[in-house]
Amino acid sequence: MTSTTVNNRSTGKVMIRLENLTKRFPGQKHNAVDNLTLDIYEGEIVVLVGPSGCGKTTTMKMINRIIEPTSGRIILDGEDVTTTDPDALRRRIGYVIQQVGLFPHLTIGENIATVPKLLGWDSKRVSARVDELLEMVNLAPESYRNRYPKQLSGGQKQRVGVARALGADPDVMLMDEPFGAIDPITRDRLQNEFLRLQSEVRKTIVFVTHDIDEAIKMGDRIAILQDASKIAQYDTPEQILTAPANDFVSDFIGNGASLKRLNLSHVSDIELTQWPTVQLGTDHNQALDMLRRSDRSALLVLDESGRPRRWVGADDLHRGAGRPLDEIGLPAGAMVEPRATLSDALNELITARYSVTIVVDAKGIYQGVVDIEQINEAIRGMRSSAVARARAGLAEGAEAGSTGGQP
Amino acid sequence: MDFFEFLINRSDDMLELGIEHAVLVGVSVLLATVIGVGLGIATYQRERPREVVLAITGAFLTVPSFALFILLIGPLGLGAMPVVVALTMYGLLPIVRNTITGLREVDPAIVESALGMGMSRSQRLLRIELPLAWPVIITGIRVTTLVLLGIAAIGAIVLGPGYGELIFTGLARVGTPVAVNLVLAGTLGVIILAVLFDAFFYVIRKLTTSQGIR
Repeated sequence: MTSTTVNNRSTGKVMIRLENLTKRFPGQKHNAVDNLTLDIYEGEIVVLVGPSGCGKTTTMKMINRIIEPTSGRIILDGEDVTTTDPDALRRRIGYVIQQVGLFPHLTIGENIATVPKLLGWDSKRVSARVDELLEMVNLAPESYRNRYPKQLSGGQKQRVGVARALGADPDVMLMDEPFGAIDPITRDRLQNEFLRLQSEVRKTIVFVTHDIDEAIKMGDRIAILQDASKIAQYDTPEQILTAPANDFVSDFIGNGASLKRLNLSHVSDIELTQWPTVQLGTDHNQALDMLRRSDRSALLVLDESGRPRRWVGADDLHRGAGRPLDEIGLPAGAMVEPRATLSDALNELITARYSVTIVVDAKGIYQGVVDIEQINEAIRGMRSSAVARARAGLAEGAEAGSTGGQP
Repeated sequence: MDFFEFLINRSDDMLELGIEHAVLVGVSVLLATVIGVGLGIATYQRERPREVVLAITGAFLTVPSFALFILLIGPLGLGAMPVVVALTMYGLLPIVRNTITGLREVDPAIVESALGMGMSRSQRLLRIELPLAWPVIITGIRVTTLVLLGIAAIGAIVLGPGYGELIFTGLARVGTPVAVNLVLAGTLGVIILAVLFDAFFYVIRKLTTSQGIR
């Protein structure tokens, strides 16, 4: 496996090892999960993704033994937990499900306190922990601690679900389509919040979804599963998008692989192009001069503090003679911040008047622009490095699984 | 004699019989609750035992009360004993059925998340499933109480305590002016007890149900 590329986050230590894990449900002819072996590294989000019925949820539920494996071993942090006390095991593992499953008769605070209380923490420590967790998931403790689940929106419930799973600070979390039942806008926000939270808490997370886009967004590593949890490819999102191991993976990713790849890079990762800019209040002839000297068709007008205001072209300067620069030309739209993905930048670019996306910092001050050339460049870069990596694996004779998909 | 004068004359009797009647029904309901909730917990997860229990407790209810009281004289003699046993048997069905329904209606996602957090079987039952099923269970207990208040009156046939005594005395004197008053007084007593018990259960239900599921 190519573990070199994972966001420096991984310590390289295997936190969960599944060994020849098999599950056959009584009365069924085929194994729901067949001889699965998988290493999950400490501090990573591993996404199990695959079509419905592929066994991804069954696989996940065998890790905390909500479903007991028929054969095989589960090794958690070096310890074989296949036959230990399941309740003790589950108290060490955070568990979040799509339906959340908050206890409706208990307050938010009591819900979050569940595992700490099971572990016998004293009440002072429990209530301090509850407040800490509520703050972590952006819910003000004073106003949410004593509410009941029915008083919360879907997104808030899911936040509490995550806080509850983090209750006793487990090393491992299992998340079964946690954002699946939430509207797209809230889902996006919760995903971002969760990634920010994860960058602080660095849990080892097994995340199940059927949505490849969510997998790409959330995963440090993705396991694409076919029938009976057979691993079609287990790799970083970059590798999976640039060098799909086989036809199943290509089909599962679908057509937009290049576009999806743009979700993996951020505007801050690339060098911005500079665009000729002009201050508000600059004389028209001076502006025309600047425009002539540049090879562009318009100038970007900035206000006193450096925020983009207008696009003005030569025609605008001629026709609007005598009028201030912020009353001629076109308003400057299509702006993104550096933490936006290249996909966001491209999206803005397509609709922008001068085919560039303006990049501004958090205060709205002009930083540079992104044009289609740079996005192309980024795609080429990702592709060639991924291919190089895949070929390196080939040369070593390692299990690169690159039977197809090579250009 | 006017009915109200009759009631005032017999007010001591009315109160004493009322207390007897309430205690008789209260004890029976308590027994039926312990047994019924227990049977419900023991069987709600498996289909066969569940159906057997519901069939048997349902069958109890079809036995005519008159017959059951008299049949119980053999093993239990006269007085309160056969009445309590018979009432407990009659009271089982609503409690067992509501316990099973209430426990089965708990959202499986809630039970799964309790399991996933490492709650043992008994912790899940006591802290999660029973509190969530409680409003349904207490409704069953309330129905049982109302049913038993009526049936208890017939227990006077085996010399059981309570308002049945007035009704049966009235029955023995059909044709005399006092007969109607006796039967009316007994019936009124049962109705007043029913109202009081109902109010009691309303308050208990309020106090014992979490705000979160009200």
